[in-house]
Amino acid sequence: MALLDVKDLTISFGGVTAIADLHFEVPESQVYAVIGPNGAGKTTLFNMLSGIYRPNEGSIRFLDKEIVGCQPHQVAQMGISRTFQNLQMFFNMSVLDNVKVGCHLRTRSHLWSAALRLPNILREERQAEAWARETLIFCGLEKYIEMPADSLPYGVLKRVEIARALASQPKLLLMDEPAAGLNDTETVEMRGLIRRISESGVSVLLVEHNMGLVMQVSDRILVIDYGSRLAEGLPEEIQNNPKVIEAYLGGEVQYAV
Amino acid sequence: MKRLGGLSLFALAVALLPFIFPDNYYVTVVAVSAGLHAILAISLNLLMGYAGQISLGHAAFFGIGAYTSAVLTTRYGWNPWPSILVGLAFTGTLAYIVARPILKLKGHYLAMATLGLGIIVHIFIVQMGWLTGGPDGMGGIPTLSVFGWTIDSDERWYVAIGVLLVLVIWLALNIIDSRSGRALRALHGSEVAAEMMGINTAATKTGVFVLAALIASVAGSVFAHQQAFVSPDSFSFFFSIELVTMVVLGGMASTYGAVLGAIILTFLPELLVIFEDYEVMIFGGILMGMMIFLPQGLFIGLKDLLHKLVHKRSNKAKQAASQKENNHGVA
Amino acid sequence: MFDQILQFLLTGITVGSTYALVGLGFAIIYNASDVVNFSQGEFVMIGAMSAVALSAGDSGLPLWLAAIGAVMITMLVGMALQRFAIAPARGASVVTTIIITIGASIFLRGVALVVWGKDLFPLPHFSGEDPISIGNATLLPQSIWVMGGAAALVFGAHYFFNHTTLGKAILACSCNKKAASLVGINVGIMLLVAYAMSAALGAMAGILVTPITFTSYDTGVMLGLKGFSAAILGGMGNPMGAVAGGLLLGLIESLSAGLISSGYKDAIGFIVLLLVLFFRPSGLFGKASVERV
Ligand SMILES: Nc1ncnc2c1ncn2[C@@H]1O[C@H](COP(=O)(O)OP(=O)(O)OP(=O)(O)O)[C@@H](O)[C@H]1O
Ligand SMILES: [Mg+2]
Repeated sequence: MALLDVKDLTISFGGVTAIADLHFEVPESQVYAVIGPNGAGKTTLFNMLSGIYRPNEGSIRFLDKEIVGCQPHQVAQMGISRTFQNLQMFFNMSVLDNVKVGCHLRTRSHLWSAALRLPNILREERQAEAWARETLIFCGLEKYIEMPADSLPYGVLKRVEIARALASQPKLLLMDEPAAGLNDTETVEMRGLIRRISESGVSVLLVEHNMGLVMQVSDRILVIDYGSRLAEGLPEEIQNNPKVIEAYLGGEVQYAV
Repeated sequence: MKRLGGLSLFALAVALLPFIFPDNYYVTVVAVSAGLHAILAISLNLLMGYAGQISLGHAAFFGIGAYTSAVLTTRYGWNPWPSILVGLAFTGTLAYIVARPILKLKGHYLAMATLGLGIIVHIFIVQMGWLTGGPDGMGGIPTLSVFGWTIDSDERWYVAIGVLLVLVIWLALNIIDSRSGRALRALHGSEVAAEMMGINTAATKTGVFVLAALIASVAGSVFAHQQAFVSPDSFSFFFSIELVTMVVLGGMASTYGAVLGAIILTFLPELLVIFEDYEVMIFGGILMGMMIFLPQGLFIGLKDLLHKLVHKRSNKAKQAASQKENNHGVA
Repeated sequence: MFDQILQFLLTGITVGSTYALVGLGFAIIYNASDVVNFSQGEFVMIGAMSAVALSAGDSGLPLWLAAIGAVMITMLVGMALQRFAIAPARGASVVTTIIITIGASIFLRGVALVVWGKDLFPLPHFSGEDPISIGNATLLPQSIWVMGGAAALVFGAHYFFNHTTLGKAILACSCNKKAASLVGINVGIMLLVAYAMSAALGAMAGILVTPITFTSYDTGVMLGLKGFSAAILGGMGNPMGAVAGGLLLGLIESLSAGLISSGYKDAIGFIVLLLVLFFRPSGLFGKASVERV
């Protein structure tokens, strides 16, 4: 059984079809990349996978449960987390608190018990803090733990966002352009992080424009163009697929980092 | 325990005030009303400052609490305590019903909807004269007694409301510093990201809206028993705006900021009374000026200002020192 | 029954016309600067009060001249508001700007209180007080002035924003400040113009309606609220929506005052507004805003 099974997925916005009749399967424990030119519909796909948009047609099954019709927080509960192409940081909090929010699903306390600070709250707080620190260290962010989020550079924030998503211990992590806007060193660090995430047993669905990075970390690749499936296969197959090369107008693809 | 440190300091200040200024009108009367305002501002701040949901109708819940207590105790001869509970139940139910549709709205639409809610409740209070006494209000509300301790003097009210305020601050600090408090701040920071972290944002908003309403309702009941008289004027649209102003003036997302805002906005008109006709104008001017020059609110604004001053001085000191060194070198 | 309803409709449109003008003022300022100006109602009051003051007494100006003077005074106030209260707080949060404009409204009310006291003041009806009969319903000539004046101003504003360079420039500022200044639009001046226009609309609404309703230092509060409701009902940022919202609100209030209860008429207006928002969270004619991630 595949981890994620997408069938006949279609969504349109007022006449513009952003995703048309798309199908693909993500096997467990892999880095699965989705690539395609600007406006191909990658982010839209992510938004449907995470319950933010509701597709017009089709089904998305995650571990054999239907996602279509679920709210994002329910999708999160099923074990999917994500990062965003445009940073969605909680800028009103510290890095640590951002990641503690990621532990939301692993903790239980309620507004009312929190208000009275019942004994279980203290225990839970300590637990969440420990988890958050652990995740931040895993992402190489130990330097920034206590800092307010709005004081950090973009490259760091991208990783904080990943840490926040990981803190919920997802089975599948959706990453929307994690390397966009990063410099070369940061990109190399990001590559390492994606690999470590994958090695830790979390499956990754990766949208990324940096082809070098995609080719290095992905186990399989799906190419979409104008919302439709163009090709799917191993990195080498995709690299040599004439349709893909054409869609990218030949020269635009650069395989070297 | 940094949290409790600040709170004990505050509690100590509240406890000492009457000894520093014995028999003072500003302590026994104005400070008591500042305390009630602070409770309201803290509750509104949970909703507005932390969860980022503006409400221009918070006085409605204050009013419902007050009138439920007033009506049940005077017209039906109830004991104050069950009346307060009924007020809570009533306010909570109403808040719960309207929360979902209202909190779906954003920005100015949310401002308008909450404003409308406040005005609707106010109009009902004024119009249902057979129950509420209409525009003239209703008097003869009995005072409270706690385990046989009857709160029958200004001094005792000072104690009671002081204790209540400290309790509310404690509750608020507890919430902010918890899983639920982070959920509130998260949905303020980014609603989709909060959802994606598994936070049911709609339910969280409803929860904090109801909580804020409940605190306001208690404050309303206490207000009714303390004043022994209620009239619709105390729960108008203007008062809702005043509460928002307290929160923003003190500094959003800061519990002590809300308390500071409430204190300033309660004392300011008292102090401006000497200007007679000019009072309104000066009050408006001060309000504008503070918001223009300290848009982050007084609490943060003053902290920053202090920081800058200290910084400047140390910079100057450094400059002076380095100049001295230079001079030395030349000499 | 029919006559009664006709009467309510006529009253509703008259009241609605003033709401429409105030709502239009809200929409203009909101469009130009993303600020909801809670002192919009005070423009109405200042316009009316200044007209009263300028035309009062034996040495007073003739009404038309006083009206022009009053509109100019209010425009100055509007520009001062922009220059000294709104502009310095650029970049402040929505709530902060709301509080600033509320502060401004309290301040302006306070000034009016100092200058004119707490009395109610009338203005003379523009063309007599003999009611005109329409069927069994009656209409004051001044009501026709209000409706006609409002219609003229609304069409004027519509033409201004769609067919004049200056009007389009103001809209451009609202779309994108940086782009606007790049193509050589002086954003600062455009904002002043927008506030002045909005103030002028408010002042004219005040002058038109004062012969019927009278004016005092605090008449602006309720009108401001109604104007804001109108703008929201129509959909913030859509000037003609605000006009429609104002008329609708006036009609709802007058019909519910006549048919249900005058005490609850404001409540009914707000209840309708809430219901509309529950089903159309961006007002009747507003564009639904979708947050893209
Ligand atoms: N909420 C929306 N409303 C209308 N159109 C939308 C919406 N979301 C996406 N679209 C449209 O769907 C298409 C696909 O957009 P999408 O953001 O998914 O592309 P993308 O593949 O992520 O591109 P990029 O690589 O630039 O991030 C675009 O034409 C976009 O305008
Ligand atoms: Mg994208």
